[in-house]
Formats: sequence, C-alpha cells, structure tokens
Amino acid sequence: MTRATRYGIASLALYFLLYFFEDSVLEFTSRGGWYFIAPVVIAFVFSYFHGAFTSYFWDTLGIKAKK
Amino acid sequence: MELTTATNFIPLDALDVTYLLVVGFIGGLVSGFIGSGGAFVLTPAMMSMGVPGIVAVASNICHKFPKALVGAIKRAKYGQVDVRLGIVVGVSAEAGVLYGAHIQEIIHSSFGDAGSNLYVSLAFVIVLGIIGSYVLWDAMKTRRATGDEPEKVSRIARWVQSVHIPGTMVYFKSLDARVSVLFTIPLGFATGMLAATIAVGGFIGVPAMHYILGAPALMASATELVTAFVMGLGGTIKFSWSGLVDIRLAMIILAGSLFGVQLGAIGTTYVKAHMIKLVMGTIMVLVLFSRALAIPVYLSELELIDTLDPHLSSALLNISFVVLIAALASGAAIVFAALWRGISASRREIALAGTAFAPDVVATPASPQLSPLGRFERFLLATDGSEYSAGAVREALRMAGKCGARVRAISVVTGGDTELYAMGEQLITKELNTARAHLDDVQRQASAAGVACESEATQSNQVYQEIAAQAEKMQADLIVMGRRGRHGLARLMVGPSTVRVIGHARCNVLVVPRAAELVGRRFIVASDGSRYGDAAAVTAARLAKLCHTPITVVSVTRPEHSKERKREAHQIVGRIVSFLKQEGVVVEGIVPHGRPDEVIVQTANAKNSDLIILGSRGRTGLERVLLGGTSERVIDQARCAVLAVKSA
Repeated sequence: MTRATRYGIASLALYFLLYFFEDSVLEFTSRGGWYFIAPVVIAFVFSYFHGAFTSYFWDTLGIKAKK
Repeated sequence: MELTTATNFIPLDALDVTYLLVVGFIGGLVSGFIGSGGAFVLTPAMMSMGVPGIVAVASNICHKFPKALVGAIKRAKYGQVDVRLGIVVGVSAEAGVLYGAHIQEIIHSSFGDAGSNLYVSLAFVIVLGIIGSYVLWDAMKTRRATGDEPEKVSRIARWVQSVHIPGTMVYFKSLDARVSVLFTIPLGFATGMLAATIAVGGFIGVPAMHYILGAPALMASATELVTAFVMGLGGTIKFSWSGLVDIRLAMIILAGSLFGVQLGAIGTTYVKAHMIKLVMGTIMVLVLFSRALAIPVYLSELELIDTLDPHLSSALLNISFVVLIAALASGAAIVFAALWRGISASRREIALAGTAFAPDVVATPASPQLSPLGRFERFLLATDGSEYSAGAVREALRMAGKCGARVRAISVVTGGDTELYAMGEQLITKELNTARAHLDDVQRQASAAGVACESEATQSNQVYQEIAAQAEKMQADLIVMGRRGRHGLARLMVGPSTVRVIGHARCNVLVVPRAAELVGRRFIVASDGSRYGDAAAVTAARLAKLCHTPITVVSVTRPEHSKERKREAHQIVGRIVSFLKQEGVVVEGIVPHGRPDEVIVQTANAKNSDLIILGSRGRTGLERVLLGGTSERVIDQARCAVLAVKSA
C-alpha cells in the first residue's frame, strides 16, 4: 500500500468520523473556556494526516517540486 | 449550549460542502504561493451561506493556522522559510491583532455596522492602494527591466540592515544580516493590525519583509506562512475560548485548502521572484476595486452622502463580492499558468537530457560528419551567471547558430554533501534558484537566436568534475565556458575551473573571455607538429569553412631549438597549410621565434584574430603544476577566445 493510500484512508476516516459524530463534535468544540483545546487539537490532527495525504497525492500524480 | 449551537451553526448540505471545498482549494493555492491572501474571500463566502459573521471569522482563522503550518513545512523543505523571522514577526503580529480588534470594537460601538464596514473598506483601499500598486509596479519592472537577474535589496532594506542598536540585534538567515527587532516589531504589529481589519495580514507582512527588511520575495512569502500560523493559532484560541469556531466549516475548508497549499508551494519552485509579486499585486489591486465599490454604500448608510437607491446599493455590494472572487480566481489562474509552464518546461528538459543526448542517439548523428574531430553538434555551455560568463553565453549561442548545434546550458553551484551543512541548505537553494533564473535567461536568448537549448542547475563539490561529467553524459562535442581573471599565485592555488575542465574533459573546450567576440575575422592555429596540433588543424578547417574565415598557422621555435627542429617547424606549417588549402580555406603560415605562449598571443593580437585554436595534451594534476602548459598560459593571456582541441 502506498503512503498516499495510507494517509488518504486515515484522512477519509477522520472526515467520516467528523460527519458521523457531527453534533457531538460541534457541541464539544463550542463549549468555550478551556475546551478551546479541542478545535486546536482537531485542526492539528487533521492537518497532519490530510496534509501528508495531499502531499503524496500530488507526488503520485507526478506534480513535484523542481529539483 | 444547544441554543447557541442552533443559532450559530447552520446545517450544511452537499452544495455548501462543495462550495467550501472549491473556495478552500483556490484560497489554499494562492496562500501556498504568496504566503497569504487566500483566505479573505472565505469569510464573505461563508456569510453568503448564512453563517453569522463572527462564526465565519472564527472558522476561517481556525482553518488558516493548520493550512499555514502545512504550507510552511512544505516550503521549508525547499529552503524558503526563515522560521526565526516568521516567529518574531508573528509574535508582534499577535499584539497587532489584539490592538486591531480593539479599534474595531470601538468603531463598532460608536458608529455601528456601517461605520465598521466603512473603516474596513477604507483600510483596504488605502493599504492596498499604496502597497498593492507598488508591488504590481515592481513586479512589472522586475520582469521588464532585469529579466532574471538576482533580486536587488532595496535601498531602505540596506539602510535597515546597516542600523546597529545594541541589545536588539538578531540574525535572520533570509536576510543574511543582523537586524534590530525594533524594526521587525512595528512591521509585525502592522501585519497583525491589518489581519484583524481585513483578514489578510500578509498584504503588509510579505512586502515589509521583502522591501523593508530585504528578504528575497520567495523567502518573504514562505516566511509569512510561519507568521500566519502564529497569528492563526492565537486567533483560534481566542475565538474558540468563546466557543465560536464551527469546526465542521474549518475542516471542510481545510480539506480543499491543503490540496491547494501543497500545489501552490510546489509552484514556487518553478517561478521567478517577480511572479510572487505579480500574483500578490494583482490580487491586492482587484480587492482594492472590490472594496472601493462598497464604500459609497457605507457612506450612504452613515448619511455622509445622499442616500443611495436600495437597488444601487445592493448591486454595488454584489459587484463588489464578484470582484473579490475574481481577485482570488485571477491569482489562482496566474499560479496555475506558472505551474503548468514550469512543469512542462521541466519535463521537456528532462526528456531532452534523457533522450536527445543518450548514447544510442549519438550513434546516428544528424550531420554526415563521422569524425569527432571538428564536429560541432552538441555544445555544453557552462555558465555561473557572472560577468565572466557573459562572453561564453553570447558566443556559444552565436556559434551554435552557425553550426546548427544544440546547446545544453549548465550552472554548477558549489557545495556538495560535505559542505551542505556548513553552507546551509537554504543558502544552496538560494544559489540554485539564482542559477536557474540565469539559465532561464540563457534559454530565452537561445530561443531568440533560434538555437535549441535546454538548461540545468546542478550542485557539486567540484565544479570542473561536474562539467566534465555532464559533457561526457551528453557526449558533447564542445564545452564553452568563460575565464576568470585570476593570475599568479591565487590562480595556482585555487585552480580555476576552466583549466581543470580542459584537463579532465574528453571533448574540445572553448574559453571565451568576457569581451571576446567570435565573428570570424581570422583564426590562429598553433601546432608543435604533434597529433594534438594536427587535431587542432582539422578542427580549424571545419570551423573556417563554417565561418568563411582565413587562418594563420603558427609553429613557434624557441631560441634553444636546434636547426633541425627549426626546419621541422617549417615542415609542420607547410603540411598544415597544404591541408587547409585542400580544404578550400584561405591560409598563411608563419614560423616565429620566442616563447610559444607569448608569441601565439602576440600573433593573435597583431592579426586581430578572434580565435586561437591549439591542441591540448590534457595534462592533469601534479604534471600540470610542474610542467605548466602552453595552452594554459595562452588561455590566461589571450584577449580573444581560445579553443583547446582534444585529439581523438
């Protein structure tokens, strides 16, 4: 399995979880106060997996930086 | 809490999600490219879906910081990011954001929505009007006037870098200078204030880092991503403390924008600095128009001008929004076009390097010439972009035009594996980018001269080895290069690339001093009667026929030579003269006396010759140092070009 596929599946899973638990996630992240950490952590986690996926995605398509 | 959720967070359908993904992608593309400026359209876009303004702002900023992080990491891989500068500016920008937001609140409480909107629009128009027009003007000027020359540090940046305030100086690698934080703090503060006002701090941050601090445009735009990350993280904490972030909106936009930011970052490796300015300037000026259109509406609402017809107000606001979208779309279109052109050119280059110059193609050359002697079909042009290479570039293209040769231009940046860490990866990348910019210019000159040309910037510890290896790889017939003006001890110790290349290359090497011109006035062929001299004669015949140029054959005798040797010199000259006459070349022969190198150069000067052709024995290393070489000294002293011919 390529890295693009691995990270793609992880990213898709995250978005699926967000969609599936939409109401709970929204309620938890909008509590305010010290719960501010929730949206920040979610953003970091998504950016790690989805960021890696998008990088490998363009790589797989042959769109790479000029060496 | 549920009430808050119900009020602030709207239900999303498939159309909303698609809309956000697309706008997010385009915004990400622009942000990845210019470091900022991709997000300003997202807040109004979300509001147009019915998202309350404050939630739109909060969700936008929550998608911005992870996007900026991913973009910054990507561009750091290309050596474009100055993390320290980004953080220093970012931290002071946080203060600017807080102060900017405070001013917004005061204006809002005093003048209401219309007053707040008017303030934001005026900020847009004034800031973008001044900075945007300047950036666009500078982009045009850079492209028109200097082509691909390395970026110049502005006068104000030179002054800023020259000011020394004890206790406040910090070294920034993007500037390669120590700058007082008393300069960076106000710039960061202004960036933050603008971010709090118009949502795009980078419209001040990037130009400030470039024009005021002196960072290269590519590095300024990449470093802005670090600043945006710091500001975005602070903003997200602030808004999510109040529970205003709609994480769904933020993550959906992020899904599209991360595709965009990666692509935008890749795009920066294919473009020259002025493209960053062009995209940024274009977006800024269009956004300026967008906001200017809305100003009469707010003035009317504040009753500062006659009340506008509601239809007119609505039309102006709609047109303003469309222009805003058009601004982002135009920026994205320029990025796409630059990316497409860059990738296509790069692929052509790779294809040429891999196919056109592959040995199996060499087996069936286009011309009927079978001997490698005097064959001029493939040139390797080695240039370092300096004034010393200017003659080599000019004459390589002129000669390639006459011979119908293909040219591969290379620029070798010193600093291989062992030096990498000492030099710093970013510095090497900067050097490579400068080299690429120069090579692009060479390609343009070649294209204008109708010469097939490809180019490559490479990196190696030993320049001469890399040039010789590249020539071997492409089976070059000729290496064309400039000559550094080193003399004496420095020359001996440093070992100039030119002489070393001649020693190591298997093909002929043409050395062109910067002022030399190869117009075909007269060629000088020097021979000592060896097979190297014969090779020079054969090559000279081919060139003379191509250029319709007369030749003077020289064989120098030394005072210590025996009579027999002197007689032999006459025979050598006579033999070559008859050969050249048979070839239909106008030729004369002379046998002067003296030190060969001095006499050859004097003869060339006296005859107003534009090329000296001589055989090279190809000595290397210690042998060269101990024995010296006539060809080497001729190259050093000649005002005209010198062709060192290798025997087959």
